[in-house]
Amino acid sequence: MKFWLSLVLMTLTLPALAGTAADDIRISDPRVREMPPTVKTSAGFLTMENHGTVDHALVGAESPWCGHVELHTHIHDNGVMRMRPVEKMPVPAGGVTKLQPGGLHLMLMELKRPLRAGEKMPITLIFEDGSRKSIEAPVRRFEQMSGMKMPMMHHEMGMPMGGKH
Amino acid sequence: MKRPALWLLFLAVAALAAGGYWWLHNRPAAGPYPGMGGDFTLKSARGPVSLSDFRGKVVALYFGYTSCPDVCPTSLGALAAALRGLTPEELAQVQPIFVSVDPERDTPEKLAEYARYFHPSLIGLTGPLPKLKEIAHRYGAYFRKAPVTGSLGYAVDHSSVIYLIDRRGVLVDMIQHSDSPQVIRARLRKVLGEA
Repeated sequence: MKFWLSLVLMTLTLPALAGTAADDIRISDPRVREMPPTVKTSAGFLTMENHGTVDHALVGAESPWCGHVELHTHIHDNGVMRMRPVEKMPVPAGGVTKLQPGGLHLMLMELKRPLRAGEKMPITLIFEDGSRKSIEAPVRRFEQMSGMKMPMMHHEMGMPMGGKH
Repeated sequence: MKRPALWLLFLAVAALAAGGYWWLHNRPAAGPYPGMGGDFTLKSARGPVSLSDFRGKVVALYFGYTSCPDVCPTSLGALAAALRGLTPEELAQVQPIFVSVDPERDTPEKLAEYARYFHPSLIGLTGPLPKLKEIAHRYGAYFRKAPVTGSLGYAVDHSSVIYLIDRRGVLVDMIQHSDSPQVIRARLRKVLGEA
């Protein structure tokens, strides 16, 4: 009897040991782009490291500073940048997913007021299991943002856009 | 009566002269991209602006839109940083221009403020969509309104290239990976150094 009881208890506590996505995922280098005051949209970037043993995914985000946040990516298509919403950003077990200029980003929409460099924007990240993680992302001017990740496109240009090097 | 014939001859000569004058002043000058580029006139917050207003200066031209949260500010930021590294003498000979291909959302007034944020000498221009399409086509720039799900309504798919136009108004360079201020500055200096 005791044996069975402990087995049941163990089974019940196992999922808790695995941890929620919010527990497993470590966030580093969060940052938000300062934009000219007339612009009501901006972009947020960060790095997600999954220290757990199961795959996770970022499925949403919100902030009291803006109307809503969408998950977006950029598709580089022969020199054309196509920005598109994505449903989730997977972070495989033991893996790293980077949100960075020119790629995955948090699209911060309907900003309630202009973002100013030096401020820290509160953002709540929402994961696939419903767990949440609150972070503060420093607002940075364009000079302080890291460069864009652009694929080398010299040899695949469909249009007469070839650079002179 | 020979009068009508004489008038016709006069008209024909006048038309030829006008055509020749137009050809001399508007023909695409030879450059590394023959047939590409050329003059245009668009609206700024202070009135119409033509590319030909800047003959004698080197123009850095970029097509984008202000609600672009990432690619445009990154490229314009890099261009601004490149300009900040120029000497005052060099900067006085450069005219950076941002053309918005999203006239529905970007007014010339909004563009003026947007441009000023990046660099005091950057000017913002836009105009009617067909005209923008025609200009973009001549420069090999691509843009298209793309409906997207979510509250954005639409995104603008676009190429991200800085076009360098020399003092004669000829397109002489295209900077594809417009993310490095050092690269942009070096290539601007090269065009500045050319006669």
